[in-house]
This record gives sequence, C-alpha cells and structure tokens, in this order.
Amino acid sequence: MSERFGLRVMFIVFLLVSPGKASVFAQDQCLACHELIEDNHAALFKRDIHHTKGLSCADCHGGDASKEDMETAMDPKAGFIGIPQGDRISETCAKCHSNAATMVKQYDSILPLDQMEHLQTSVHWDLSTSGKEHIVQCTSCHGAHGIVPKANRNSPVHPLNIPATCAKCHSNATFMRDYNPSLPVDQLEKYKTSVHGKRNEGGDPKAAECASCHGSHEILAANDVRSRVYPTNLPLTCSHCHSDAAYMRGYGIASDQYEQFAKSVHGKALLEKKDLGAPACNDCHGNHGAVPPGVESVSKVCGTCHALNAELFATSPHKKAFDSRKLPECETCHGNHEIVAATDELLGVKGRAVCAWCHKEDSNIKGYYTARTMRALTDSLIAAEDSAIMLVAEAEQKGMEIGEAKFKLREIRQARLETRTKVHSFNLKQFQEVADGGFTDASAVTKQATEAIDQYYFRRWGLLVASLIITTLAVSLFVYIRRIENEQAVNR
Amino acid sequence: MKNKLRGIFHWIDERVNLRDLIEFMGKKYVPIHEHSVWYYFGGVSLFLFIIQVVTGILLLLYYKGSEELAFESINFIMSKVQFGWLIRSIHSWAANLFILAAIIHMFSVYFTRAYRKPREITWLTGMAMLFLGMGFGFSGYLLPWNELAFFATKVGTDIAGVVPLIGKPIMILMRGGDDVTGATLSRMFGFHVAIFPGLFAVFLGVHLLLVQRQGMSEPLGYEDSPETQRTMPFFPNFLLRDLLLWLLVLNVIAVLAVLFPWELGQKADLFAPAPSGIKPEWYFLFMFQSLKYIPAQVLFVDGEVLGILLFGLAGLLWTLVPFWDRKSAAGKKSRWTTYAGLFVVLYIILFTILGWLA
Repeated sequence: MSERFGLRVMFIVFLLVSPGKASVFAQDQCLACHELIEDNHAALFKRDIHHTKGLSCADCHGGDASKEDMETAMDPKAGFIGIPQGDRISETCAKCHSNAATMVKQYDSILPLDQMEHLQTSVHWDLSTSGKEHIVQCTSCHGAHGIVPKANRNSPVHPLNIPATCAKCHSNATFMRDYNPSLPVDQLEKYKTSVHGKRNEGGDPKAAECASCHGSHEILAANDVRSRVYPTNLPLTCSHCHSDAAYMRGYGIASDQYEQFAKSVHGKALLEKKDLGAPACNDCHGNHGAVPPGVESVSKVCGTCHALNAELFATSPHKKAFDSRKLPECETCHGNHEIVAATDELLGVKGRAVCAWCHKEDSNIKGYYTARTMRALTDSLIAAEDSAIMLVAEAEQKGMEIGEAKFKLREIRQARLETRTKVHSFNLKQFQEVADGGFTDASAVTKQATEAIDQYYFRRWGLLVASLIITTLAVSLFVYIRRIENEQAVNR
Repeated sequence: MKNKLRGIFHWIDERVNLRDLIEFMGKKYVPIHEHSVWYYFGGVSLFLFIIQVVTGILLLLYYKGSEELAFESINFIMSKVQFGWLIRSIHSWAANLFILAAIIHMFSVYFTRAYRKPREITWLTGMAMLFLGMGFGFSGYLLPWNELAFFATKVGTDIAGVVPLIGKPIMILMRGGDDVTGATLSRMFGFHVAIFPGLFAVFLGVHLLLVQRQGMSEPLGYEDSPETQRTMPFFPNFLLRDLLLWLLVLNVIAVLAVLFPWELGQKADLFAPAPSGIKPEWYFLFMFQSLKYIPAQVLFVDGEVLGILLFGLAGLLWTLVPFWDRKSAAGKKSRWTTYAGLFVVLYIILFTILGWLA
C-alpha cells in the first residue's frame, strides 16, 4: 500500500515539474508511469516497432491505458491480464499478426499472416515438460519489449544474430535433454567452423544461418519428410542460395552444383528413387559445419560409404602418386557433384577410359599394361556373363528347370561388381583373382544351361522314340485283334 | 519253353484252380451296340489310376511332406532325379485325365441307365471313387507347397468352412488348425497317400468285382430285339481292345508330359498377399464360378451357404439316382432323367468355361 502511495506521489510531482508531459495522459498512461519509475521494459518498449506503430502496453497486457489511476488502469475488469503467460503470449501476438484487417488495413504491413499457423505445425509447438504450454512462444526468439524489425541489426532474428538466438536453447544441453536427448548441442560450435558460420561472424548477412536451411516459424524435425532438411529435400534447400547465380556472385564458386548433382548417380538415387541411402549435400560437406572437403579428405568423405574402395585405394600405389601431385583422390577420376554411375568405360586405355589420362603407352608402360589387362579381363567377364545369361534364358524359355544355374548367375554378377571394387587396388593380381572366380562361375552356369538345353532335345527325341514304340505296339495289337476276330467270324 | 510254361500253369492251377477262372472269363461276353464305345472309359479310368499309383509311389521315394522341404523336394525331383521331371509330369497330367475319364464314365453310365437294378452298388461305389478322385486332386494340389496351391487350398477350405454346423469342424479337420499351415500340408499328404488310397482300393475292389460278377449293363431296349443282339468275348477281344486304348492314352500322356511339363511355380509364402486370379482345379471350377454369381444374401440365407447347400443336395440326388429313377429301374425310358442329365452336363460345361475365362 505504501509503495503504491509512494508511486502516486512521485507521479504527481513529476506532473507538476513537467507541465509539457501533461499530454501523455491522453496517450499511454502505462508507459508514462513505467518510464517514470525507470522500468527497463518501458525503456525498451520506447524503441519497439510496436510503439512506433502506435501500440500501447495495454494492447498486449490489457487494461485501460488512458486512465491515470493505476488501479483503474490495471483493473482486470478493464481487461488487464498482467504479464501474459504460456500460450497466451503467442495468442496475444497472433491477435494482430494473424489478423489481415489489423495488419494490412491498419498498419499497411507486408508481413505474412500465417506465422502463428506455421508455428503451430512446427516441432517447436510440441508441449513443454509442464504439459500446460507449448515449448516455444513468439517472445522466445523475438523478445518482448524491444522488438525491432528483422532487418534491424539489433533484432535477435537478424541473420547475424540468429545463430546465437537459436543457440540459447539448442546449445543448452540441460534444456535440450528434456526434449530431444539425442539431438547434438554443438551445432553452433560446428557452425562457427563452417564457411557459412565464418562469413556470418564476419558480418555477411547473406551467409546461410539456421533459418536459411531450417526455416523460421515452420521448422520441422529433420527426420520429418516435410522438413526442408530431410535428405530428399536438402539439395533443393541448399540450391535455394547456391543455384542463384546473382545471389552467389562475389563468392567465387559455381552455381550449377544442384543441376550437376541432380544428374549424378547420387542425385538420381536420392531425388528420383527417394533412396535415403544416397548422399545429400550434407553427407559430403557436413551440415552445420559445412565446408568443401579438402584434397586430403576427399577419399575419407567418399569412404564413409564406399569403404572398400577407399581402403583399397589407400594401400594402392596411386595413393602416394596422388598425394605427391596434390590430386583429390576419388574426385580426380569420378568428378564431384556430377558423379555418373561408374561404368567399365572408365577403365582401360581407350575411349573414355580415365587411366589413359596419365598412363601412356610410351611413358608409363606398367600402369598402361595393368589398365589394359584389367579392361580386357572385364570385357571377357562381361562376355562370359552375357553368354551364360543367354543360355540360361534359352533353357528357361524351353521350359527347363534351371533355378540353380539362374541363382549362380548372381555370383558372376557379384564377381563383376567385385572387380569394379578391386580396380581401386590397381593391383593386377588381386583383380585377376576375383575375375577368375567369375569365370569359374560362368563356366559352371554355361555347363548347366547347356546340359539343360541338351536335355530338352533329349526329351523330345525320347518322346519320339517312345511314341514310335507305343504306336508300333498299338498297330500290332490292332492287327492282332483284327486277325483273331476274323478267325472267330470264320469259325462261327 | 511251352512245356515249361505249361508246367508253371499246372503248378498254379493245382493250388488256385485257374481253370475255373479261365472258364468264367471265357463265358463272359460284352454286348455290342451303338453305345458300346462308352464301356471303354471305365477301363481307361482304371488304367490312369494304375499310372497314378505307380508314379505316386516313385514320387514318394523323394518327396518330403513338410512345410520346409516339400517345395524343395519337388524341385529336386524335377531337376536332379533321373526322369523325375517325367514322373512328376505324368502324375500331374494323368491325375487330370483320370478325373476327366471318370466323369465321362459316370455320365455314360447315367445316360445309358447302367445304374439301374441290379447295379446300384456299382454306381454308388463308382460315385464314391469319383468323389475320392476329387479328394485326391484337392489334397495332391497342395503337396508341392507352391503359391497357387497354397491360396487355392485356403479358398477351398474356406468354402467348406461356411457349411452350417459341420463346416467349421470339417475345415479344421482339413487344415489341421484354424489356418492353412505346414500342419495342413502334413494332413493333405496323409489323406493323399494313405487314407484316400486305402478307401479307394476298397471301393475299386467292390466295383470291379461287381462288374465281373454282373457283366456289362445292356442299354434299355437291347433285350427287346434278340435278332439284332450281338456280343464279343470279354477275353480276349474286349481286353485287347481295352489294351489298345490304354496304349493310345499312354501316348497322349507321354506327349503332354514332355511337351507341356507341369510347372512348379513359386514357393508358398504364408505372409504374402494372395496373388490375383486364384482358381481351383478345373473340375471344381463350375462350383467356384457359380458361388460367385449367387448374391451375398438370398432372402435370409447367406448366398454362399445357400450355394454350397444346393450343390450338396444336387450331388446327393445325383448319387441316389438309381433309387429315384423308378422308370429306368422298370425298364422304361425316362425322358426327364435324360433332361436332368443334359442340364447338368451343359451347366458344368458352361460354368467351367465362364470360370476359365474369368
């Protein structure tokens, strides 16, 4: 009571010594009074976009801002709600921000009207641990009293501030454990090591920050198929900036990565076949710590999936040669974004063979010979497999049971695929061992299929012989019946 | 050589009195008339049954009647066992031809009224063998444990299950449980190689005994004109003619078995969805197709139940024809019996074709 009395006295004194302030009675009594008592919220609100647009404290807190008397102004009967709690915070914001009449007609705003709708469908709108409210409210990111436009450098949602704003919760292990214990909390640390993060820290608002990839109000869990960072959606999300030549101008990198990736074996698997085993951009570049893989780490990055190839390459003579020439290991032969399916054409010394780029007949005879022999073995194995397939198909088409040989065809194919892996050892002996296994299987299948085809003709010849015997017997029997019946007729 | 054979004959004759049998056979005559050709279908059915027994025993040497091994053992028979493919193919083709020959035999007996007194028991044992033959087909169909057989058995036993009161116990008896599983396979195997052959042997024995004892039935009106009556000796004439037809049938089976070997298909997968176009064997097709045309509800009775009951009743009436066809029993022509038979033949042909095309 005494505190209220004190406030009233101070307020009257303030009016007496500041006659020019009398007009505030007619405008916002809440702000006037809270400024008077040096309330920090009031000071912040003075800079708030909402204040500039003519909103008063009462627009969010309720009550009657025109009343001088504090009790009357803050009377619950006049709609005073005090500090909005829980979901009421966002409801209060949405009262105007989701209302076209208010936003467009009254304030001529171009802000989208569906932020609340989006927030309600986002992962942030899950129930909090208390179960009484949802996890994130508007003020969690935008703040309460000092709200400034997003473009304002002081806004917590300004591109340069977003990483820190998100990290308030996402780098808080204790807080995150309550909601998603498996989610890492080092995204900000990783982000700071990324090209995006470094540029953001250096003051480049164009560099991607959290919202650039995850979205803002509509953020979904990364494993939600609708999420912008879900593997099948991620390339398009990255391309949003990286394929925009105008946007990327000045960064010194190409803007056709998405186009190339979409044509690549990885892109087709991921984007067309929706194969989640195929890599998206982040699988090679990292996500929060995204950087282009360095020359020395290319084979490690590719090796996370193509483990055998990477292992063979690491022990091959090429490893040393590539390292000394600072050649990116896998990328040198296979390319990067536009990696096409590795066909046998890449192997050998003619046509599109990549070996011939370095291994010439006159300058590097050993490598040239190895590449040529490997290709010759591959071609022979393909021919043996094709021949076996045709024989099996012929036997099958003739209706012969050829299941075992058909199953063994897979082993030839397996040997062929294995030779493709063994190429990365660049060791002819190792390569030939696998190829020989394929040749052995091909001979076995060929033998079985040929036997089946022979058996087919044997059956037909057998049928012919059997039919002839049966027919001969039948004719003989017929003649015999006629004879005895004739004899019987004569005897009668 | 002749003396030696004569010696063996005397040795046997002294013990089992073969001369009486030969004398009996020598006195046995087969009537010759415009319907004589139908007499041969009984013999053809018998020949096909003998083929089934022989090939069945050979298959039994390698077949394994368990859920895990049934399909693989048939595959083994088809691909590894010398002439296994031929034996299995003959068994499958001969099974179908046996049913066909038995059906023709049954209808020829029906239309020539050969079931009339004193051959009622011959007719009844014949009908029992036809039903058993269908049982052989149904139980044998599942034995390869392939996809089609599995689902067809499921559908077939489901249909049996809807019969009021006795349906459910029959279904469980056939399946060895609530669903078609490995237990059903073991059960069908048991029916196919032990229970049905045992019963069939009894009915066949009685049937053949009666045919020999009573001789061939003569068509109505045959006895009215003694001047045109002709006969042929059963031995050797009819027997040799039978043998000639058997040789031709054997040739047909050989051609079918080699040129159209019976396929094995895909192994049954209990958890796979039923493939489209599941159909029973052709001799069940007319009933299966008829059930499709009956509305789900007829008055207050379930359509499927009504259909099954009607088929059951029709089958019973058909089986009991010697007892209700009084006119034929009295030696008179019975037009309505012929019409009923024609209706049944046309119905079966029409609905089998519709089922085939569906």
